[in-house]
Amino acid sequence: MSNLAENIIPDQEPKIVIRNIGRTFHIKKSPAGPHDFVALQEISLEVQKGEFVALVGPSGCGKSTLLDILAGLAKPNSGAVFIDGKQVTGPALDRGIVLQGYALFPWRTVRQNVEFGLEIKKVAKGERREISTRFIDLVGLKGFEDRFPHELSGGMKQRVAIARALAYDPEVLLMDEPFAAVDAQTRETLQDELLRIWEETRKTIIFVTHSIEEAVFLADRVAVLTANPGTVREIVPIDLPRPRQNSDIRSSPEFGWTRHKIWELLQNQPPADHRAGEQRPVADAISPSAAL
Amino acid sequence: MNTKDIIIRRIILLAIVLLAWETLPRLGVINPLFIPPLSGVITALRELAGNGEMATHAAISLQRAALGFAAGAVLGLPLGLVLGGWFPRLQTALEPLMELFAQANPLILFHVIILFLGIGEAAKTFIIGWLCLWPVTFATITGVRTADPTLLKAARSLGLGRAGLFVRVTLPAAAPSIVTGLRLAAGYAFIMLIAAEMMGASSGLGWLVIQAQESYHITRIFAGAFVITLLAITADWLLKLLGGRFLSRVESGADDYVRMQGSAGKI
Ligand SMILES: Nc1ncnc2c1ncn2[C@@H]1O[C@H](COP(=O)(O)OP(=O)(O)O)[C@@H](O)[C@H]1O
Ligand SMILES: [Mg+2]
Repeated sequence: MSNLAENIIPDQEPKIVIRNIGRTFHIKKSPAGPHDFVALQEISLEVQKGEFVALVGPSGCGKSTLLDILAGLAKPNSGAVFIDGKQVTGPALDRGIVLQGYALFPWRTVRQNVEFGLEIKKVAKGERREISTRFIDLVGLKGFEDRFPHELSGGMKQRVAIARALAYDPEVLLMDEPFAAVDAQTRETLQDELLRIWEETRKTIIFVTHSIEEAVFLADRVAVLTANPGTVREIVPIDLPRPRQNSDIRSSPEFGWTRHKIWELLQNQPPADHRAGEQRPVADAISPSAAL
Repeated sequence: MNTKDIIIRRIILLAIVLLAWETLPRLGVINPLFIPPLSGVITALRELAGNGEMATHAAISLQRAALGFAAGAVLGLPLGLVLGGWFPRLQTALEPLMELFAQANPLILFHVIILFLGIGEAAKTFIIGWLCLWPVTFATITGVRTADPTLLKAARSLGLGRAGLFVRVTLPAAAPSIVTGLRLAAGYAFIMLIAAEMMGASSGLGWLVIQAQESYHITRIFAGAFVITLLAITADWLLKLLGGRFLSRVESGADDYVRMQGSAGKI
């Protein structure tokens, strides 16, 4: 685990460099005939060590595609990703990923799920147990070690997924809409806990969401993505004080103002020609809270 | 309704059926020549158990069923894994042929099979194994091909290679389906076993029933049927126990599916 005393040096080399990423899918079957669909175009972003960056954008703007590329699960058609100056060529244990949906192994208990990465890393059994105990405690699931996923609530499953991604001590945590499937109240609790865990572990986090509110609450910076093709429209720094967890920050004027600014960014995007008939504001498709 | 209530209801219902079985033939409501009272069947059972006949024939039958089942499983599992996991295109191409094989009842070709393999144990193992092979193969293919892609993705993100993915994710994900296939196959094994023993054998439970039939020992027919059913249920129960580890973990209707298919097979 990284040292808590380690400070973020502002002008050090970025932890993650995303340079001019492009991703095109060849669509074979469609009413318009076979064509190339540009999912991501010239995506560039730099993330500092220990930083919390949120990617926000409407459904289908390529957030998951970008995260897959960062995880090394997919290759970009152009551009490259560097972590600590080294180009990403495939998946590795320096990055932990929490996928959309829980993706827990149903035949494994909570503990066995958390230990999965450690087994692959060939960590000895005793040490594995010690580590899994620590991370199960960290996500607040003490006492549920021997439960199976189908015996857990959605929020608990999500905690297991987070513990599993943290257990093998990756430096970077990639999260794809991790709280999208849980109810509003659980969601706020999980957001609070994620911030606490982040402060305890000082991981670099890239967090994908389609909720503006969630992005503003969690992140140091929010990268606003727009669709067709997926591009970074703007990167908005969030100057809200920390710690934000267990606070009333969501109702502060600064919070509301920041949220509104991002909402406008998503609202004002030029409509793509082939969607001209569809006048629905993009932000409506993003989050119910965005319309507030 | 809690489990205790369910168990009590089941016991009550079973008691009613058994009581009816005993009294209706005795009262002459049912002709005891067709359905003898329960006590008569029990007497026949004790007689066959006492002189060791039942044990001998049951052991032979069990051995045949186990051998055929094992042959089907030992071939079907790897066949399903290879076709489902590594050669999905080949599998798609072979599917109609495999469906045809699965539907082909080896009993129809029994005499042809005997020409090749003789009337001995080989022919019986072959037809039982043939019937067991297909449900195992198909269930394994289905299990492998329907393994949750997000689970594979999660494991892949940890840098797990192809072989590791197969052993740690695909196989356990396919396990419930494979167990379902094995249970279906076990059911088929007993059905085919009895048929094969009735057609050409000089031992086994199927032969025992045929003997009883020819000598109008109706109680013995029922005694034989009772033991066959008991063995089939025990085999299914054992496989269910084996698969329970996986089956209880996924909210699938595997259990109902086996029952449905099992009863369809018996018709
Ligand atoms: N394997 C694929 N083949 C074709 N199109 C894809 C594929 N994966 C994603 N897409 C398309 O790329 C776009 C971005 O998808 P995705 O990254 O999942 O969006 P998001 O996560 O932002 O909702 C979508 O329009 C989707 O239909
Ligand atoms: Mg997505």
